[in-house]
Amino acid sequence: MTQSSLLGQITDYANRADPYPIYAELRKTPVLHEEEGGAYVIGSYYDILHLLHDPRISSDAANLAAAGDDELTGPDSTGLPPSFIRLDPPEHDRLRRIANSSFGPPHCPRRIDSMRGELSRIVTELIDGLGDAREIDLVDQFAYPFPVTVICRLLGVPREDEPRFRTWVDPLVASLDPDTRRSADTEFQKAAQDARMQLGMYLAGLVEQRTKEPQDDMLSDLATSQGADGTLSMMEVLSTAVLLLIAGHETTVNLITNGMLTLLRNPEILQRLREDPGLSVRIVEELLRFEPPVQLVPQRTCIADIELRGTTIPKGSRIWLVLASGNRDPERFTDPDRFDPDRPDIEHLGFGSGIHSCFGAPLARLETQIALAELARRLDSPRLLQDPPPYRQNAVLRGPRHLPLAIGGVRP
Amino acid sequence: MRLVVDLNKCQGYAQCAFLAPDVFTMHGEESLVYSPRADEAQREKVARAVAACPVQAITAEGLNTEPLPEVSDAR
Repeated sequence: MTQSSLLGQITDYANRADPYPIYAELRKTPVLHEEEGGAYVIGSYYDILHLLHDPRISSDAANLAAAGDDELTGPDSTGLPPSFIRLDPPEHDRLRRIANSSFGPPHCPRRIDSMRGELSRIVTELIDGLGDAREIDLVDQFAYPFPVTVICRLLGVPREDEPRFRTWVDPLVASLDPDTRRSADTEFQKAAQDARMQLGMYLAGLVEQRTKEPQDDMLSDLATSQGADGTLSMMEVLSTAVLLLIAGHETTVNLITNGMLTLLRNPEILQRLREDPGLSVRIVEELLRFEPPVQLVPQRTCIADIELRGTTIPKGSRIWLVLASGNRDPERFTDPDRFDPDRPDIEHLGFGSGIHSCFGAPLARLETQIALAELARRLDSPRLLQDPPPYRQNAVLRGPRHLPLAIGGVRP
Repeated sequence: MRLVVDLNKCQGYAQCAFLAPDVFTMHGEESLVYSPRADEAQREKVARAVAACPVQAITAEGLNTEPLPEVSDAR
């Protein structure tokens, strides 16, 4: 893989702050396949949407391992079975339904709605906590601690354990980055494997406790679920909990940070949000199109030959669906490179589509809507100190590592 | 406020039922039940639901459309 290949440019950290010109280049070739044995990369909106709904496209970790990638998360690697994000129907459906039965409708329709007051309180506390500082890092002081606190409360993981589980989450998330994985040495791979195991063991202690004394949290519900889909095995509870804990905060931190960055680059929209907090709803949808926290889905394979735009993608090939590129496709969106929360049509791919569409979407939306409305209202004269800010390494879960801001103060 | 869901578009993602549970409910995994006249107090939540629909199937008066046409109850 040379760095001049488009796929290499997508993963190249040098392009992290602005990958969008590369995606525009990508869309010129509907089915990009640059290297024998390499991934087939898809960047056009309608093709991505179509493939997200195509049952011949598999998310199964075992198929990906067979395609010569991703030894890390194969079924035998850690002792933990794959979570539902890495499975196909019917196993996927059963596990996702059980997880959903403690998260959303039809069984638990008020879980998210009932958290609104608590979300606002956490946001208020974090903004109050900025005190008299005139320079802040929005990531470390707000965009990271907020969703971490929320997912801890939702699952029933003690918030004060965050420094512990962060040491396991970081290598796991890094292993999702295709570039890191390709260039990774065996030591790095071993570290990610150990991390998933350790995180699972840590959660096992909490699950054991909840099995004896159930509380009003998702770990308790997962451990004791007994519906039409049966019960979860201990290993299934753990792999689901690992998934929800990580996906529950590693993505929202980027959505909030991308949001503030985009608003500060579009001051007239920030001003409108200050005057009308309700605008946060449309701002968040447009953000999911314009700067989606999950840029691409690199873990799918096809389980049959697939004809697409005159190209045959052979059975067993790896496929990358570049959601962030589809979101900027001029065949789908008018003036796609403009951030415009007033656009009448924002049917974005930010949360994917089809059976694997983001499980936590309603929570991520609500968190980000409340966060951005309150930041706009309470931060006095916020200004970017670095543009572009420093980014995380990760090409898949993309977002700033820090967002240094100067502020005139914090309004009550 | 009056609202309409295009049930030909609806794919059962249930985003509306998460965000405005007093107006939209799921009957089983995929069937949506909703109240075509929502209380004015629900406006903020309905706005979140309308925006969150992945297939943009919800039309709500005063949110993403002009007043909906009046229909007579007479048969």
